[in-house]
Amino acid sequence: MNALGAFFSRNAWRVFHRNLLAWQKYAWSSVAINIVEPFAYFLALGFGLGAYFSLTGYGSLVQFMAPGFLGLTALNTATFDAAWGAYERRVFNGVYESMVTAPVDPLEIAAGEYLWQAFRSTLYGCLFLAVIAGFGLVHSWWALLCPLVLALSGIVFAIPALLVSFVVKTQEHLFYYFSFVVTPMVMIGGVFFPLDKFPKWALVIAWLTPLYHAVKVFRALVLGTVTAQTALEALWILVAIAVFAFVPVRSIRAKLAN
Amino acid sequence: MCAQNTVVYARSLTKRYAEVEAVRGIDFAIHAGECYGFLGVNGAGKTSTMKMIYCRVARTAGELLVLGMDPARDASRIKQRLGVVAQENALDPELNVEENLLLYASFFGITGNGARDRARELLDLLAISAKSKALVRELSGGMKRRLVIARALVNRPDILVLDEPTTGLDPQARLLVWETLTRLINSGLTLLLTTHYMEEAARLCGRVAVIDEGRILAEAPPAQLVTQYAAEDVLEIVDADGRLPADTQLDGLVARRERHGDTVYLYNADNRVLLHRMAALGFDPPRHVARRATLEDVFLNMTGRELVE
Repeated sequence: MNALGAFFSRNAWRVFHRNLLAWQKYAWSSVAINIVEPFAYFLALGFGLGAYFSLTGYGSLVQFMAPGFLGLTALNTATFDAAWGAYERRVFNGVYESMVTAPVDPLEIAAGEYLWQAFRSTLYGCLFLAVIAGFGLVHSWWALLCPLVLALSGIVFAIPALLVSFVVKTQEHLFYYFSFVVTPMVMIGGVFFPLDKFPKWALVIAWLTPLYHAVKVFRALVLGTVTAQTALEALWILVAIAVFAFVPVRSIRAKLAN
Repeated sequence: MCAQNTVVYARSLTKRYAEVEAVRGIDFAIHAGECYGFLGVNGAGKTSTMKMIYCRVARTAGELLVLGMDPARDASRIKQRLGVVAQENALDPELNVEENLLLYASFFGITGNGARDRARELLDLLAISAKSKALVRELSGGMKRRLVIARALVNRPDILVLDEPTTGLDPQARLLVWETLTRLINSGLTLLLTTHYMEEAARLCGRVAVIDEGRILAEAPPAQLVTQYAAEDVLEIVDADGRLPADTQLDGLVARRERHGDTVYLYNADNRVLLHRMAALGFDPPRHVARRATLEDVFLNMTGRELVE
């Protein structure tokens, strides 16, 4: 099957639809969990810690963090569901097992999961965007492009998480991914503080992670400081999707069609 | 090689996993409209055979044609025309009964009113309409099984494949599933099932293949297997002290004698005649069971093992 075509195949949207049906049953609690927690951190750090200083060249901490949290929300919502949620769907609920018994291809399963994570990060990210707009922290109409970037971020974050969910042997191993990959990525992603004072090697590592680029794009859109550089950051995400999106398909196929 | 009405054809079909050879070159042909069963213990190779047929695992060697197509090339087209009841229910616990059916139907391109009508029809057929809005986790084991069967029928399959359809069910739920399957067989649907319940095989299957350690040991209609590989009757006698007369004293009435622990199985044509002869010899078996031979005996005779341990 054509790789790109899978994204637009009917079965991919049916996989998406399955997740939507399940999600609808606990949508409110899911929204609350995915918004309240980052919002609590945002308020505590931004207004609590941020009251004591401002960032040289960047203004207040709360203003610096606001767009960073868009990236963080996209990362958390997509990662959590693509890693843990997909693990649950595969191992405990037999969701993918029955899909491949019907004529659904593993490629379509991956595409459907990406579409679903794009939806989740867009939804939760937009809710957070509304919150920071309410605080007067959004300064440009460029911010209208945030949903699109949220969707792409959701996909790029879902790729490694989905891969991990299909290769781990036990659910405990999922925590390795959160501890050794996700958390360090957040620390060097430019979410909480600027990275200019970091050593060069740390910046190289940061550059290799998708969060770093997503946060830069969100910051430019929210502050209205869009330049050609912003387009390159977005391009990084697109290229990463194009190159890596089909890596998990191998593992899905190995698990579901051996 | 492949007759007009053959829907599944296998020749030297083999499945090797990294550690074990689960299926060791088996031959069989399943005809349209029949109910064909694989009878064997756990680990005999039944599930691997089924998984190769419903395109869940690839065969290692041999020939396999399902509805005239090769699973290695046409998996998607084969799946479109099969109904599968796998060993694990694999119902979606996050969806309700109706959603489970509608989602599964959508994977076959059945959507909208057509899907809703089909779902209603199947829920009626399997007597679970009252539960159509219930979550799967609220269903009993028997209802879950019936829902899986309903789901497998959603695409109006040419063959219904069932891997141990009643394992783990209580006797009443099992009877309900048997009734349902009997109705489907009578309607002309081709069924292919695995079981380790001889009663299930005897009741449902037109032909049974006894499978053990990856090989088919015999294949015939159940009644024929029993007379051919066991006998008409079996006399089970607990003979702890070895007083039981030898076959030579019994006028050749015993076709075959098996001993498992303290229990001796005497396969013979008529238990009454045999008991009469024993009485004439002054032997009155203290504890015994006189019964008809079953597929269980066929299995015991062929493999030296019991079907249900």
